[in-house]
Amino acid sequence: MTEKNIIRLQGIEKRFGQFVAVSNLDLDLREGEFFSLLGPSGCGKTTALRMIAGFQEPTAGKVIIDGQDMEGIPANKRPTNMVFQSYAIFPHLNVGNNVAYGLRNRGISKSEIDTRVSEALEMVELGGLQSRGATELSGGQRQRVALARALVMRPKVLLLDEPLSALDKKLREQMQFEMRHLQQELGITFVMVTHDQYEAMTMSDRIGVMFEGRLVQVDAPPTLYAKPCNREIASFIGEMNFLPAELTAEKGDTLTISTPCFCAMTIEKNPNVEQTGRAIEIGIRPEQLEISAQEPDGYDGTVQGTVRDVAFYGENVHYHVQVDGVARPISASVPNYFHTVDYRPGDAVWLGVQSASVIDLGQNQSNT
Amino acid sequence: MRSDAAKGLTLSAPATLYVGFLVAAPLAILVAYSLWTQTYVSVDRTLTLANYKEAFTDPLVRHLMIRSVLIAGAVTIVTVALAYPIAYFIALKAERKTLWLLLITIPFWSSYLLRVFAWKLILGFNGVLNSALLGVGMISEPLTFLLYNEFAVVLTLAHAWAPFAILPIYVSLQKIDPSLLEAATDLGNSAVQRFLRVTLPLTIPGIIAACLIIFIPTVGDYVTPSLVGGSDGKMIANLIQVQFGAANNWPLGATLSLLAMMSVGFVAILFVLSASGLGRRIR
Repeated sequence: MTEKNIIRLQGIEKRFGQFVAVSNLDLDLREGEFFSLLGPSGCGKTTALRMIAGFQEPTAGKVIIDGQDMEGIPANKRPTNMVFQSYAIFPHLNVGNNVAYGLRNRGISKSEIDTRVSEALEMVELGGLQSRGATELSGGQRQRVALARALVMRPKVLLLDEPLSALDKKLREQMQFEMRHLQQELGITFVMVTHDQYEAMTMSDRIGVMFEGRLVQVDAPPTLYAKPCNREIASFIGEMNFLPAELTAEKGDTLTISTPCFCAMTIEKNPNVEQTGRAIEIGIRPEQLEISAQEPDGYDGTVQGTVRDVAFYGENVHYHVQVDGVARPISASVPNYFHTVDYRPGDAVWLGVQSASVIDLGQNQSNT
Repeated sequence: MRSDAAKGLTLSAPATLYVGFLVAAPLAILVAYSLWTQTYVSVDRTLTLANYKEAFTDPLVRHLMIRSVLIAGAVTIVTVALAYPIAYFIALKAERKTLWLLLITIPFWSSYLLRVFAWKLILGFNGVLNSALLGVGMISEPLTFLLYNEFAVVLTLAHAWAPFAILPIYVSLQKIDPSLLEAATDLGNSAVQRFLRVTLPLTIPGIIAACLIIFIPTVGDYVTPSLVGGSDGKMIANLIQVQFGAANNWPLGATLSLLAMMSVGFVAILFVLSASGLGRRIR
């Protein structure tokens, strides 16, 4: 990955009649990175991708690819290629002709085309399947053909529209790693649209999260998970306990708060949200909570509660602990590690948390 | 309790009876007649191939047969060529598809015969077209090449068959996944290249269906050539009609019918094979 920008989106807006699909989108993509646009369905992420590809023209703003303004340049002249959600494999052509499709538009010699097609098929582990019919492919093979057909064009940017959503779970996980490796080997910029946060987190260098047409946060997956910039993101990515807290003092980058359960703590201030009143909201990830039968030592905040429910997930166990002063039970997750912990509904337990894992989410807007 | 076999027989009985009495039996009678001969008022039931020999040696039969296939071929080409853009418009561009499809089927609300007569009124010596052209002074005397020739037959039939060509092509266009077209654009195709490399090959089944639906019945069409064809536009069906009517030679009529059927089948199979073979070669 270099520091060079390959795509710059400048103040992009897209309206369909009254409906604003994408509003004021500014985004710089670095050459060679794997970038994901993540968001719930209808958030405008696919529209953004289609504007990069040239299938849709922005109502306002600029799409710049490799320093060139793309305004008025149709999709067939852009240095991008796309892997479609449905894969769009041409049903009347066999695998070899599907992959060769784009090369035949470029006046490349037949032997050169054959070489590049077989290289591309080797790359996606479909070597030698040139003469296989498009209708005789499994879902995973179709996905690989779609990848090969786009990559054989050697695009500056590869666009992927929900590329794994049509595959079953096992295959999807396998393809996540394969696509990641492929991207790193080729060094081509990948821009993927997905609604699956785990897909985005496992594959991407950076993730941009979109809600209702707005790009809300752009960060590397660990940062996005540890420091969500607001409540929207905090509840969309992973699991989160939302707790009310009272702001008692503010000093530089830190806030001193008191909560109904964890007493007083000093936490890092979130610069992205406002703390106008005394009532703020904090977030704690379930796995950041220690659960034990006795009051745990060495934690910044501790509280006693009662186990309400136990949910077994295999690799970890979630305990829902009812605590006085908090309406909703607090969720604590414990790795399923030699079965060292085993609490049942009704058991009295202690929860402990370090102030470093408490996230400031700004003014409390919820009613709980 | 009834067996599965009995249920199957009961369910297929109506179709079997229908096909047996209304298709197979008449065909068998036709074959039988073609092997008999007409002797003045009675039919000689000795089996002979004399009718076939006569049909193959008579230059009129050969002439009419070739003309029928050529006219039907011309009608098919003209109709499909005109129908394709209409189907394309409705399937891919129009917003109110149902309305357009309804409008296209409207000519079918009136009788076929009426539509043929309408063309006679339009193309005739004192017809709509000639009167209009005379009225605006573009011609000084009525055009006579409009009616009673092959041109009139092709025009009338092309109009009559248009919906039958539009519908199957429309269906095959409708079935194309729009992302295939986007993929073609994404891979560098201009609109024209995309049409030739994706849209056209994917609609070949629809085009073949449209061609067969038009070609097969048109070869044997009898009403249109007799009303607007004049002597130049006569087709094989007119000759067959004469054999069963004025000439009173049913065995020869049966022979000509079977030969017409066979030549249609032959041309149709040849066409299907070459069209689908051509489709497979587009890459």
